[in-house]
Amino acid sequence: MIATLRLPLQMRLDLPLRQDASSRFLPWIIALMVYLATTGGIALIWLGDALGNWDAALTSTLTLQLPADTSDARIDVAIATLKQAKGVVSARLLDQSETARLLQPWLGTSAPVDALPLPRLIDARVDPKVDIDYPTLRQHLDSIIPNAQLDSNRTWLGNMRSFALRLEGVIGVGVIVVALLIVTIVVFTARIGMAIHRSAIELLHLLGAQDEYIARQFQIHALWLGLRGGLIGAAAALATVIILGPGGYVLALPVPIATRGVFDWRLWLLVVVAVLAAGGVAMVTARMTVLRQLGRMP
Amino acid sequence: MVRLENVGKSYGSDAEILHDVSLQLDPGGLYFLTGNSGAGKTTLLKIIYLAEPPSRGMVTLFDTDVSTSDRAAHTALRHRIGIVFQDVRLIDHLTVRDNVALPLRVARAPEREIRENVPELLSWMGLDGKLDCCPATLSGGEQQRVAIARAIVRRPDLLIADEPTGNVDDDIAMLLVRVFERINKLGTTVLIATHDIAFARQFAHRRYHLAKGALSVVNDGAPAQ
Repeated sequence: MIATLRLPLQMRLDLPLRQDASSRFLPWIIALMVYLATTGGIALIWLGDALGNWDAALTSTLTLQLPADTSDARIDVAIATLKQAKGVVSARLLDQSETARLLQPWLGTSAPVDALPLPRLIDARVDPKVDIDYPTLRQHLDSIIPNAQLDSNRTWLGNMRSFALRLEGVIGVGVIVVALLIVTIVVFTARIGMAIHRSAIELLHLLGAQDEYIARQFQIHALWLGLRGGLIGAAAALATVIILGPGGYVLALPVPIATRGVFDWRLWLLVVVAVLAAGGVAMVTARMTVLRQLGRMP
Repeated sequence: MVRLENVGKSYGSDAEILHDVSLQLDPGGLYFLTGNSGAGKTTLLKIIYLAEPPSRGMVTLFDTDVSTSDRAAHTALRHRIGIVFQDVRLIDHLTVRDNVALPLRVARAPEREIRENVPELLSWMGLDGKLDCCPATLSGGEQQRVAIARAIVRRPDLLIADEPTGNVDDDIAMLLVRVFERINKLGTTVLIATHDIAFARQFAHRRYHLAKGALSVVNDGAPAQ
């Protein structure tokens, strides 16, 4: 496999393409593009994971928020009311420390939570398959404890999902734009290469070289530059992942975006695909550009 | 082998460079094409070696009408033609060996054949020891011989040389013509273009003369046959 890969890359080129200025700058431009595309792809993976996690975590819970001064007796009634509702599996009161931890992203770690009038929170597990009658449940709870707030998370989750999907779309468009940029840059590079080596190309043509033979010189060169740029860009993207952390939470959101860092096999698959795609796109683009130009020769 | 009938050539709306040129090169012949600089010799040669299409007239190469044949046929025809360019056109980053091997490589000849034939040919051309040199390190005469070696390495049926003696001194020029005569004796038809009419007159070969785009046969040399 390695031998067959090395063979075309080290193939003797009749045209001095390796000495062109483009051979020096093209891999770096491709590297930048691949870096952007790969990090975008990684972000898509993480976002997809986060959506899945949010779905799993939030569609099966609901939270009842009560004023800080609610009596224990009223809290017990509220818990009993929740448990009686169709679709609610269990309900329990969160203690002060749990409540404080949930509020940490907003209040920070140094806030004197003991001195603050923290709301009382009841965490209920619900069956996601059952449609809960929220208006009736809200009415019941309101009659027991005025100002009780029932948060099903569904509205919030819906907004987050919608935002995440839009973000996915933006990243997806970004990846496509990057691919088109690579194509455009390679087209211009191939054209410049043809202009620089016009005399040698004409010579090969007059010696009876088929268009395919001449195009192969450019496409192998472009493949090599694309792979080199792809490797640099993918390595930089991996380095970014490592810098962000070996795994865990990348954003301190209440419902965090979790990553498995470099231990995620999809990340490695993405990197391999990005490198091969960079080489492949560069190769095919160079080939098509050169063949089109050669077709204009007599 | 090569027949041109009433060939004319012009670029865009400019005046014609060649007018009603008719020419016939028979197999095994050695011909000179003379004419002053700017007379249209290179344009005529380009039409013969398929670098330029004629604006009008008919060109037949190896019994193939080039105006009706496709690109693939033209490629096949080019394999039967060896060209020595006026500006030599050696590729600087390739060694002498690889420059000479180019026509074989584009024809996808086996590397074994290239390894055997190229050194032998360069030895025949008196270029022993220059195989791995870069063209830039060679003298003008040596570069010209490398260009000739490249043109004949595929044993073409037709060899076209555009001003091969233009940039070398008289002794080397004489030597190069002797090389062309040796190639011709091996069965290759040879057409040598030169602006040096006096030089061409020294050889007993058929001569075409181009003046102001018109071609004429000059009978001051013995027929090739």
